[in-house]
Amino acid sequence: MPNVSRRLLPLVPVVVLAVAILSFPSLAPNPYILSSGIVVLNYAVLATAWNFVGGFTGYISLGHGALAGLGGYATGLLVTKAGMPAFVALIAAAVLVAALAVPLGMAALRVRGASFVIVSIALVLILLLVFQSWASLTGGSRGLVVPRPFPSLLRPEHHRVFFFLYGGLLALALLTWWIVDRSRFGLGLKALREDEDKASALGTPTFTYKLIVFVLSATFTALGGGLYALWFGDLDPVFQFSVLTGSYLVLMALLGGVRSLYGPLVGALVVGTALEYFKGSFGNTPLHLVATGVLLAVVVLVMPDGVLPALAAGWSRLRRTSQTSIREVTAAELRDQRTSAASAASGSARSADSAGFAGSAGSAASGAGATSPGTDAGVSERASAHERSGGGGGKPDSPGRRDQEARR
Amino acid sequence: MSLVLQSVVLGLLLGGLYALLAAGLTLYFGIMRVVMIAHSAFLILAAYLAWWWHERLGLDPLLSLVVTVPLFFLAGVAMQRLLLARLRAVTLTMMSVLVTFAVALTIEGLLGYAFTGTQRRIQLGYGSAGFELFGARIAVVKLIAFGLAVVSLGALYLLMKRTSFGWALRATIQHRDAARLVGIDTERTAGYGFGLGLATAAVGGTALSLDSTIYPSLHWHWIGPLMAIIVVGGLGSVPGAAAAALLLGLAQSLLQIPLGTTWAQTVFYVALFATLAVRPQGFFGGRLAQRF
Repeated sequence: MPNVSRRLLPLVPVVVLAVAILSFPSLAPNPYILSSGIVVLNYAVLATAWNFVGGFTGYISLGHGALAGLGGYATGLLVTKAGMPAFVALIAAAVLVAALAVPLGMAALRVRGASFVIVSIALVLILLLVFQSWASLTGGSRGLVVPRPFPSLLRPEHHRVFFFLYGGLLALALLTWWIVDRSRFGLGLKALREDEDKASALGTPTFTYKLIVFVLSATFTALGGGLYALWFGDLDPVFQFSVLTGSYLVLMALLGGVRSLYGPLVGALVVGTALEYFKGSFGNTPLHLVATGVLLAVVVLVMPDGVLPALAAGWSRLRRTSQTSIREVTAAELRDQRTSAASAASGSARSADSAGFAGSAGSAASGAGATSPGTDAGVSERASAHERSGGGGGKPDSPGRRDQEARR
Repeated sequence: MSLVLQSVVLGLLLGGLYALLAAGLTLYFGIMRVVMIAHSAFLILAAYLAWWWHERLGLDPLLSLVVTVPLFFLAGVAMQRLLLARLRAVTLTMMSVLVTFAVALTIEGLLGYAFTGTQRRIQLGYGSAGFELFGARIAVVKLIAFGLAVVSLGALYLLMKRTSFGWALRATIQHRDAARLVGIDTERTAGYGFGLGLATAAVGGTALSLDSTIYPSLHWHWIGPLMAIIVVGGLGSVPGAAAAALLLGLAQSLLQIPLGTTWAQTVFYVALFATLAVRPQGFFGGRLAQRF
């Protein structure tokens, strides 16, 4: 029953993830391992939040560390200076950061690409400067101590509670990403990622879409940072507003694959665990920077679409050695497939939309894509993925490809 | 009054150095649409090399230029050929940021590993020498740094305007396909142009090492202002970058009087955000800037 297995397959990662998060605190041999687990989950939340911007729009932000730091400091200051209850402060901090993200996004997203990255780096540097210098409010380099939200809990219990809180936040972020991914809004974002001019010519309100998704991403990042402040209880501007945090997030997301739901999570598991391991065994050495730098360069140069998609592509190539790009389906078979797909697919109108977008985004690969049976949304997505990774592949000359060559 | 005059002089001297470095960044952007985050990391690397040259060999740090400038030129050519030319054209701007960012991290880490995080400073015989000019005191080392910047910028200008390589380079920047049609080897020209950009970092780093305390993570303090300068000046315009550099250097120096050094630094970021909000293509930018 291929249909049932296809229906159930997406649930497998959900179950695995839920079981892993629910059982890890009981399996962790000591509180230190559990606290490392929290750090990794924190990275997973931040990387998934980063992927709202990075994955959907293709705009790469190196400044998300600053948004997390801002969330952390806002939470801490609202607790200590305004006397708010911890979790009210967390929500209020997220709202504040979201509000701040609007003018930031308006400045950064009005122009394409280069300026966005420059602004994102500048954001980290300027906030570091401000939070270090404004010592009367933020405590400056002495740090800001945030009282624990559950004073009665012992340390291991405290870790356990925060592990589950982070697990919940991660689930919420993943669910939101998934919903956006399937929505019309998500289609518009992907269209502007592929070609902003064409998307805007087709009537996608590109600027508004970019701004909304940036604010969404900032909100989740601030929630992650705020939770970190409540858990860790001590904030230092040097660590909160570090360019390094942003680069870790980029590395995680790129490593796992920015176009997939679980990519940043997997990347965070790999990179976060490695970071914690090396910090535990070797302490903080400058070689961290070297390792991060080299790894980032390798990922960008060799597998810019991520390790997961690269592996998946390799696997499907192995599996489908007999299948060629030439159609070997009779017209009758094709008609059967289409009718069954049309009747089976829920929300078929939406998928038809997506096919239209993929076609207009300069992807002429739909011929190759359409041979594989499946729902049409899946086909068009895969087709455009083929087109994008066509740089080194042996794809025949499609108009999109030629367009790329001409621009080079 | 003399305090203001002093600040103006210092601001202009600092602005000269900013202008030279921003010229390098502008070159990269013009040639390849690349935002080179590692520029200031190379700047600090050159400063460290000058310091090491002075410490180990006992020679004047200015003489290290003989080695570092060709070395950095080659490094730039290699970087363009081996790293940046391999990126996909469609996502070049974003991915090049990441690659150069990775290079910056690597350089910072290696510097920290080789020389530790300790702050270093060159002790020069003429380090404290200076002279009075209308009541403003000018340190000789600052003047030397400014002189280096002016001479290199002048050389760059002559190279761009008077030599056939300069014509080829400007043609490549203006319209790559057209340049190729008239027979320019744009790949090679782009590589050399990149090397030229990195050579400005070598000169700037040596000038910086004369009168600054250096440490591996210092490059983050430079890249922010430099980025702001090239955005304000209009991405891709060398005269625009130079004008913005002098203006912002002057503003920073003058704002130090009422605000102190740390807050004065924010002028760059304020200028950056204001420019993007009001005039995203920059104030002196030409045709290139419109597209980014």
